[in-house]
Amino acid sequence: MLQVLIQGFLLSGLYALIAVGFTLIFSVGRVLNLAYGAYLMLGGYAYFYSVQTLGMPKLPGFLFATGMGALAGVLMYRLLVKRLKGDQVAVEISTLILAVVIQAGVVLVFNDSSKILHPIVGGVWRIGSTTITNNILVAMVASWIILGGLLLFVKKTHVGRAMQAVSMDAKGARISGINTDRVNMMTWAISGALGSVAGVFFASYTQLNPSMWVAPLIIAVAVVIVGGIGSIVGTLIVAHIIGFMEIITTTFIAAELRGVFTMLLIIGVLVIRPQGLFGRGDL
Amino acid sequence: MALLEITDLHARYGMAKSLHGISLSVEEGSIVGIIGPNGAGKSTLMDSIMGLVENTGSIKVAGQETTRLDTSDIVRLGVGYAPERAHLFPYMSVRENLLVGAFTARETIEEKLEQVHDLFPVLKDRWAQETATQSGGERQMVSLGRALMSDPKILLVDEPTIGLAPKICDGIARALKRLNQEMGLTVVIAEQNVNFALSLAQEIHVLETGSLRVSGTPEQLRSDPELTKAYFGH
Repeated sequence: MLQVLIQGFLLSGLYALIAVGFTLIFSVGRVLNLAYGAYLMLGGYAYFYSVQTLGMPKLPGFLFATGMGALAGVLMYRLLVKRLKGDQVAVEISTLILAVVIQAGVVLVFNDSSKILHPIVGGVWRIGSTTITNNILVAMVASWIILGGLLLFVKKTHVGRAMQAVSMDAKGARISGINTDRVNMMTWAISGALGSVAGVFFASYTQLNPSMWVAPLIIAVAVVIVGGIGSIVGTLIVAHIIGFMEIITTTFIAAELRGVFTMLLIIGVLVIRPQGLFGRGDL
Repeated sequence: MALLEITDLHARYGMAKSLHGISLSVEEGSIVGIIGPNGAGKSTLMDSIMGLVENTGSIKVAGQETTRLDTSDIVRLGVGYAPERAHLFPYMSVRENLLVGAFTARETIEEKLEQVHDLFPVLKDRWAQETATQSGGERQMVSLGRALMSDPKILLVDEPTIGLAPKICDGIARALKRLNQEMGLTVVIAEQNVNFALSLAQEIHVLETGSLRVSGTPEQLRSDPELTKAYFGH
């Protein structure tokens, strides 16, 4: 039981971190960025390349990965999303294609074999009979710190409030003197950075491979659909629902069914409560 | 000096053309009313001044051409806008809505908050309430307050009385008058409620199907029998 509780919290923390950048774009820009999983892959591979291939220290490697994610977000917004002018279906199709293109690029550069990312923090921690790696513990703590920081940023700063304003009423935001284009671009940059950070932790929890973008994308989509349009607190709650559901499934039913219930949950919520459990439209 | 000068403005909303060669100017310190029936183009005119609608022609604010500017730059030039249906941020508190209004004027936040609370004391009491749960009158007050937070020289107000009880309309009228007389703000009001506009404005422009039909002082317009029949009742 203790094992389930601990594992549940650890996995949920990671999932919240994975989903929050995706939620952010959905709230502010009203589009599903299906290339979001590719940020995680970019982050993971950027960290791998800088730290394990080039031998850079971990912190600069981490910052490099974060920067790559932010850059990918900005480029995606400027070159693709902005030109499609809010056509949601076009954005979804083209971002999905982009994810596949990025996957091909990763195969070209790093080949298609899986790679092991060394833990960002080594060692294990024992609570009773339960052993947890410091790595996933750090991922959970980082997730809470990042989400807390993001919440403070959104609620307490002018720029954060501008992001909320755009998410609630774009015309109202524009006539308040907010340049919605700039806010959107910044949101894409933050989302890319968050995705990359999540990717480094996710890859160190699982492994690096060119199709690693799919599973986190499903988690992120699930959190947005189940939670409704993205409150940060809602993201945290739903990440825990999904995280615990997976751990319980893995422990008590069958490990093979792990992702299946998440997907069934997506369909169930779409049918029964399409606006999501907490949906109302703000950050 | 004309604070706002519009020359030969044409605008379109999607495929429909909705303003045809509007020219008018608004003197500094005045209150100007734009009246006309639903669909005459009043809101399109307001949105055009804010750079929210594709348009051709010339719009100058304090002598500066604004037709190529982003809305955020037009707000920085000193144009405040309380649009029809308010467009507030529904899940933010009254105070947060006002703070967003100060996005371009962060140095004057305390001073402007005081001014808004002085004009609409109820907003001071309700500062923590989400605007989604407020009455229409209070939402209109937040909308005007949010526009004032940007420290404007000219305030555009679109249908401020729509759906409001007469007593609340009087309160809004008093607030607009005070803004003009005590604080020297230039005000442009677009209204279907003709009497409301006539009671405040020194100059009225009558807009019909996207063109200016006639302009003049309230007295001049009242003396025109045709206009009186169409707009002011018998």
